Amino acid sequence: MQGFDRQAAVRFENVEKSFGDVKVLRNFDLEVQPGEFVVLLGASGSGKTTALRILSGLEKPSGGQVYIDEENVTDVLPKYRDISMVFQSYALYPHKTVADNISFPLKVRGMVKSDMDAATLSAAKQVQIEDLLARYPRELSGGQRQRVALARAIIRQPSVFLMDEPLSNLDAKLRGHMRAQLKHMQKSMGITTIYVTHDQIEAMTLAHRVAILEKGVLQQLATPAEIYNNPANLFVAQFIGSPPMNVVHGSLNEGQFITNGVAIQTSVTGQAEKAIMGVRPEDCSIAASAEGTLSGEIFTNELIGDHALVTVDWGDDQISVKAPKDFAGEQGDTVGIIIHRDSLFVFDESNGQRMR
Amino acid sequence: MSKTSYRFQKSQRTLMQQMFEAPAIGKMSPMAKILAYTLLGVWSFFVLFPIYWVVITSFKDMTTVNQGPFYIPFIDFQPTLEAWRSQFNEDPFCTVSAIGRQLWLLVYNSAVFVVSPVVALNPMEPQICKIYLAFTNSFVISIFSTGLCVLVGSMAAYALARIKYAPRFGNIMVFVLLLIIVIFATTYVGAPWWASSSVGLALFFFLLRALRGYFKMSLKNGDILFWIISQRILPPIVVVIPIYVMFQAVGMLDTHFALILLYAVANMPIVVWLMYDFFTNLPIELEESAQLDGATRLRIFWEIVLPLTRPGLAATTLLTLVLCWNEYLFAVFLATVKVQTMPIMVAAKNTGEKGILWWEMCAIIVVMIIPVIIMAILLTRFISKGVLMGAVKG
Repeated sequence: MQGFDRQAAVRFENVEKSFGDVKVLRNFDLEVQPGEFVVLLGASGSGKTTALRILSGLEKPSGGQVYIDEENVTDVLPKYRDISMVFQSYALYPHKTVADNISFPLKVRGMVKSDMDAATLSAAKQVQIEDLLARYPRELSGGQRQRVALARAIIRQPSVFLMDEPLSNLDAKLRGHMRAQLKHMQKSMGITTIYVTHDQIEAMTLAHRVAILEKGVLQQLATPAEIYNNPANLFVAQFIGSPPMNVVHGSLNEGQFITNGVAIQTSVTGQAEKAIMGVRPEDCSIAASAEGTLSGEIFTNELIGDHALVTVDWGDDQISVKAPKDFAGEQGDTVGIIIHRDSLFVFDESNGQRMR
Repeated sequence: MSKTSYRFQKSQRTLMQQMFEAPAIGKMSPMAKILAYTLLGVWSFFVLFPIYWVVITSFKDMTTVNQGPFYIPFIDFQPTLEAWRSQFNEDPFCTVSAIGRQLWLLVYNSAVFVVSPVVALNPMEPQICKIYLAFTNSFVISIFSTGLCVLVGSMAAYALARIKYAPRFGNIMVFVLLLIIVIFATTYVGAPWWASSSVGLALFFFLLRALRGYFKMSLKNGDILFWIISQRILPPIVVVIPIYVMFQAVGMLDTHFALILLYAVANMPIVVWLMYDFFTNLPIELEESAQLDGATRLRIFWEIVLPLTRPGLAATTLLTLVLCWNEYLFAVFLATVKVQTMPIMVAAKNTGEKGILWWEMCAIIVVMIIPVIIMAILLTRFISKGVLMGAVKG
């Protein structure tokens, strides 16, 4: 596989989009480096697909500019943007064979038949569907259709590659397989890719950088590790991680988080009347009731497989802890929970921002 | 299926369900089968009997028609070829060479029409086997007007389905007003038509710029669609005299082109309306994907959209074809001698002095039905489901 010679940078500048009175994208800024794999992650309605469609040119922004390689493409028609896109529904042409589907982008550019056939075969080989070329989309399985859509997108070597939830119509096993394949393909071809998903695992595994959107606002843009270790705000902290981060309401006073009659020492400086403490289940551990940072009664103990998820009542709140799989605590037992000071996040309840 | 399955438990299904909702294909009870096939048989009889009647009547003569209803040939009455002979054999122009010449004219005219519709078409000669003349006239007119109508109509429908239009109502009014002034100037003041219309057009574009943003109310696609459909609400008889005068003024009476144009316009609303529905039901991702792949609008329309609406296109074509083939009112006004069509032939058998010549009329009708049946058989192959299978999702 040869690398792509054209790797484009992409820049969103203050992009806004509203449908009627509904603002789906506000003040959206994003810079993608050449060859980078950026995932737009968000729940449905967060504006991630809209951002992608604005970059593709299928949607016009209400305000702001979009650049591809320093060229302002805000008012450029989709076909002149040198972008290819994989749709969630694959959007294969049902009346064309797989070969004709894959070669369509070259055909509309008036390429000679022999060159086109060679390119089709090589694109098909990259996604391992070279023996399906004579079939029609209706004769293919979901995973095969997905590959055809991929081949059609890579055949003309675009400068930017867009994917709109390409794996969400596949079953879980195939999804994992295709995910690995996508990552491998992107890495070996080095093509600038923007990928939209609502699945945090896809985002964490695929991306060089993840952009998390909520209600049309970019919450954080960082590497997956950074997003996990250093969430910028409460939304990001709760969105990333499975099982989700524990949140406990309380107040912050001189670096001590006070809640349910316990003061927990944090590494945060500052004051807040109302604050939220967040800690990931995997950063807590179970101890004897006297040794823990706090103690409470076990609400329930679920064995997941490689670990047990123990939920403990603590005042008005509950805290989930990832415990070893042989943990044998019963419902109603009193246990202690150790929370490490460094793995503790504090957020200002008024605006959700991280306090450091 | 297990015994507890609701759908197959007869006792749990109402009488109406038992009668009209078969649990599965081929699972009807014998009684239900008999009932269903009897009803279908009765219905088929209602549909097919008139055709049977037309066919046997074409083999009757004056006495067997007038002496009472006879239905079974060779038993009720002795069939005769008299009606057919009078249409073909006894017509002095129904010879092989005459028809050959006519056939050549047909091909020539078709070629000319494709190259340029305004270049003179060789008129079909009236001194020819009447039924052959009418048949070829009908054929040429129907095919070309259907082609034109479906082509333009589906493009209009696609545009309405996919592009958002918002013409200002005021601008349209300005156009209409200027049009009236131009017509008035040409007709009553005596200005040459090219001068008045170009001045009017220039004035329109000037006003369009001058009044930009002045008018607020705009029409939406739905309004335009309704306007197009509303053209079909008016009974044709109301407009046939003005249309006659119009074609007389441009000297196009009794030409193929006049009828082709007129039928295409008259059937346009139906085509637009039907095709609009098919286009809006297409998944838009296909077109978006093609757009990103670099295809132009026209290419998307030809290569992606039209093939996918093939069932709708076939149905619409068939309907338009039949409407053109059977059209009588416009033809009787505009096609007096040379381009007489089949329906006029049929009506001509209702003579003043000899009464209705049923047997000859039926012979012509049989000739008229055959191409429609062939066309229907050809086109129903395309009217099948499942064209979109595999387009989106699984």
